[in-house]
Amino acid sequence: MTRTSRILQHIVLLVFALYALMPIYLVLLASVRSESDLFSGPLSLPWPIDFSNFRRVWFESGFSRFIVNSLMISVGSTLLVVLTAPLAGFAFAKLKFRGKEAVFALFLAGLVVPAPSVIVALYGDLQALGLLNTRIGVILPQAALLLPFSIFMMRTVMEDVPDELLEAAVIDGATLFETYVKVVLPVVRPGLLSLALIAFLFSWQEYLLPLVVIQDEALKPLTVGAATLQGRYGVDYGGIAAAGIIAFAPIVALFLVLQRSFTRGLTAGAVK
Amino acid sequence: MYSSRQAWLFVLPALLLYGAFVAVPILQVAAYSMFSWDNGSIKAFGGLSNYSRLVSDNVFWTALGHNAIWAVLTLCFPLLIGLILASILAERSPRLVKVMSAVYFLPRTIPLVVAGIIWGWIYNPVFGLLNYLLDMAGLGSWGGAWLAEPGSALISLNAAGAWTFYGFCILIYLSAIQSIDPSLYEAASLDGASWGQRFRFITVPLLKSTTLFLGLYSAIEAMRFFDLVWVTTQGGPGYDTEVLTTHIYKTFFLVGDFGYAAALSVVLLVIVLLVGGLSYRILRQP
Amino acid sequence: MKLELKRRGLAKAATSVIMLATASTALAQENVVTQWDQFSNAGITAAGPAMDELIKTCEASLKDVKILRTVVPSIGIRESYRLAVSADKTPDLGYTWPAASVLAGYARTGKVAPLDDYYKKYGWENVNAFYRGRNSYQGKLYAVPMEQDLMGVYYNKAMFTELGLAVPTTYAEFKDVVEKIKAAGRVPIAFGNRDRWPATNTLSLILGLTAGRAGEEKVFFGDEPWRNPKFKLAAETFQRWANDGYFPRGFNGIGYDEANALFLGGRAAMTITGTWVLQDMARGAKFDLGVFMLPPIAGDVPAGTMWGEGSQWQISAAAPQNVKDAAASYIDCLTSKDSRKVWVEKGYLVPIGTTPDELKSWETLPVVKDFYTEGLKTPDANFYDLHTTVPESVTQVLYPELQKLIGGETTPDDFLAAMQASWKAAIDKGERWVP
Repeated sequence: MTRTSRILQHIVLLVFALYALMPIYLVLLASVRSESDLFSGPLSLPWPIDFSNFRRVWFESGFSRFIVNSLMISVGSTLLVVLTAPLAGFAFAKLKFRGKEAVFALFLAGLVVPAPSVIVALYGDLQALGLLNTRIGVILPQAALLLPFSIFMMRTVMEDVPDELLEAAVIDGATLFETYVKVVLPVVRPGLLSLALIAFLFSWQEYLLPLVVIQDEALKPLTVGAATLQGRYGVDYGGIAAAGIIAFAPIVALFLVLQRSFTRGLTAGAVK
Repeated sequence: MYSSRQAWLFVLPALLLYGAFVAVPILQVAAYSMFSWDNGSIKAFGGLSNYSRLVSDNVFWTALGHNAIWAVLTLCFPLLIGLILASILAERSPRLVKVMSAVYFLPRTIPLVVAGIIWGWIYNPVFGLLNYLLDMAGLGSWGGAWLAEPGSALISLNAAGAWTFYGFCILIYLSAIQSIDPSLYEAASLDGASWGQRFRFITVPLLKSTTLFLGLYSAIEAMRFFDLVWVTTQGGPGYDTEVLTTHIYKTFFLVGDFGYAAALSVVLLVIVLLVGGLSYRILRQP
Repeated sequence: MKLELKRRGLAKAATSVIMLATASTALAQENVVTQWDQFSNAGITAAGPAMDELIKTCEASLKDVKILRTVVPSIGIRESYRLAVSADKTPDLGYTWPAASVLAGYARTGKVAPLDDYYKKYGWENVNAFYRGRNSYQGKLYAVPMEQDLMGVYYNKAMFTELGLAVPTTYAEFKDVVEKIKAAGRVPIAFGNRDRWPATNTLSLILGLTAGRAGEEKVFFGDEPWRNPKFKLAAETFQRWANDGYFPRGFNGIGYDEANALFLGGRAAMTITGTWVLQDMARGAKFDLGVFMLPPIAGDVPAGTMWGEGSQWQISAAAPQNVKDAAASYIDCLTSKDSRKVWVEKGYLVPIGTTPDELKSWETLPVVKDFYTEGLKTPDANFYDLHTTVPESVTQVLYPELQKLIGGETTPDDFLAAMQASWKAAIDKGERWVP
């Protein structure tokens, strides 16, 4: 490769790195800038560095509560997904049963279902179940909407489990469920971790579902909280930036620590 | 070994959850669409009258057009960038690949609502970064109200959407390139093929199915995205960034016309199922 | 009971038993009223502290009323309320915006309770005939309005002095003032319409000053179409303002709060908006803040301003009788003279029926007194707020069409044609509110 084309390539890599990071940098700057700096330009270095935006958002705008709600909702949906999707994925990958193709097709169709198109009916159903304005009311449909992708991914993962392992377990007299718990799950642990991370990421990011289901300020997750900050407290860019950081910092941290599992999960369904 | 019934027990928990909160609501939405509603209450059975309204609903057609433009823009930009960056990265050290793909993917971890807020601010005509940078560069006259002018609103919004998406394309392409037999590249290099030739004659053709997957994936995403528009423009100015989901949201929540909102939802579902079914058929072919 | 136990499962039954138990012990001394309101601690209708204080005061004086308060942000309260109503979870007492047009939808479907008996019982003389009309549907009263909203022009007195400008008393003078501000390189009117609703208020004001209340009523309650010369003048005027640089560049991309920040930051000489941000304006202005009323635009129209009621208290039709009674007695307490004083002094909110004399004697900011003194001078000429007059389906056409009109994407004629079409569709569906 020629020198110039190599340099050119590096410039391309760099430009797009800037594109990715610039907005985040902008938000970091704004979050530590004091309110009176509003007209000094978005790139001016804030000085003195001022953490009062975080304090204000955390204590006064309810973000200490929102983050707990986000955690509860995301952990809840993730747990539900991790409990149910691998079971189904295993059945679709390794078991033969009547109606298998039809049920799988039903789940497959769910891969494309947009949340806004079911919300019209979901709202009434949650009300009938007494789940409106509760975190469970977000967790259940959230998990359900994540299931198609999760099952698809788990089927791919389960297909890689060697049949000999299963046969050996059955010869040892284990029931199907025992085989699943004692033999299959340990083998697919990395896949489970990926699944959990993806489910957690998507639940954490969900906006429409909690927006519709939850009215009570005390139950709102971060996404809804951050969106309502806009236009409610005057032009509080510092506060909005701090809120944004609170909303994405945990998930970014998780991603950076577990990058490999994340990547595996995201590419699992795609490359096959 | 095991009975069909035992196998069913494995599927049952997922099926119940999915049935109760996805499948059944879809049927309900279809049923809702057959009634006329008044401010959230059923008024009368209307048959297909909600569907016949679609024909003369200009906003619906405008929105549908915007969804289509969004899909095309996504194909042009994030996919192409993803392909090029992935093939550049693939020849670099694993360490660099790890760092850079993390950097590119970072925006995808940010909730779309927050991304929308950030980009709404970048595009802000008075306080925004973009106009500020243009001013600094002496190009102040190029500045504008990016999200508030009919000519630029949808494209500007799409650039914000691309920000959250191209990193994903890079990841997918990278893992696909890494599964290409390296000896192909080595042989080509020995024959004196340039980087551009290798890209054109090896990478692009061999990644056809990956491109197809990403293309169909982004087509479906283009039909169902919502958060980004809702927190930035709410479909404005006028109807310039209106998409199907915002039209549904407004009809449902703001106007309270549940029947028509349900009909719109059904149309949206049919479209994504068609695209989805098509993708499944194409992708399953060897 | 047994059947229900089986069907709904143990957990649910257990909670209902517990609830029954608590309810029956509570029944003896208090009636629990669930309340949704939008009084936050900052921003639009920032009367949160006043609300909290009045709940305490009223609970103490009424003894048998217990209020369970939920604050729903004003931005989303219409949506939340509609969803709650459609799911039969209507809060016993709601304070939502906007009034008549949306209220009519709930009255029509029998979701809110008629309040005529309570009006008879408590008098509520502070609600005048205009406002009673605004809260009626087919001859019955359905709500008690509280906030008195007025539109006006906030201006930066320091900047006016600096540029040698006087408060305009005619529309020609107003245009002259704007031209001088433009010539000085400043933004005349801080206006931002990204949020889509602010332009509706601006149009309401312009419309009243071109068509007058009588001209508006011909369209809103009669058969006159939107495409009439006076409405056209309003649309033309608004579009001309936008074209002639009355507003900052990119106004369709500027948020309502950002527009206010431009004004408060000394970047613009005026801003045209309502009393609902008085508190933020008074707190945020680092200069001497003034208010004047926009002069009539058409020659044959009397001076006046847009006069709305912000929001209104409405009672769920599904609430039990004792809760309805309790809610009504609580509303009576909230709108009593003593309470009104609290609203004014702690909430910067002037309840309907408050007189200029009362305002003078109560402790509040000069700008609050100025605004209401000016706005209350013309009670017979004050006109309608489009937000609270047209049905929701029309509002959802008005928002985008107005963005197009002032963005120069459409002509005044096309704008009025689009409005007329949605207006007619709404009338055909029986959505129109007529007092």
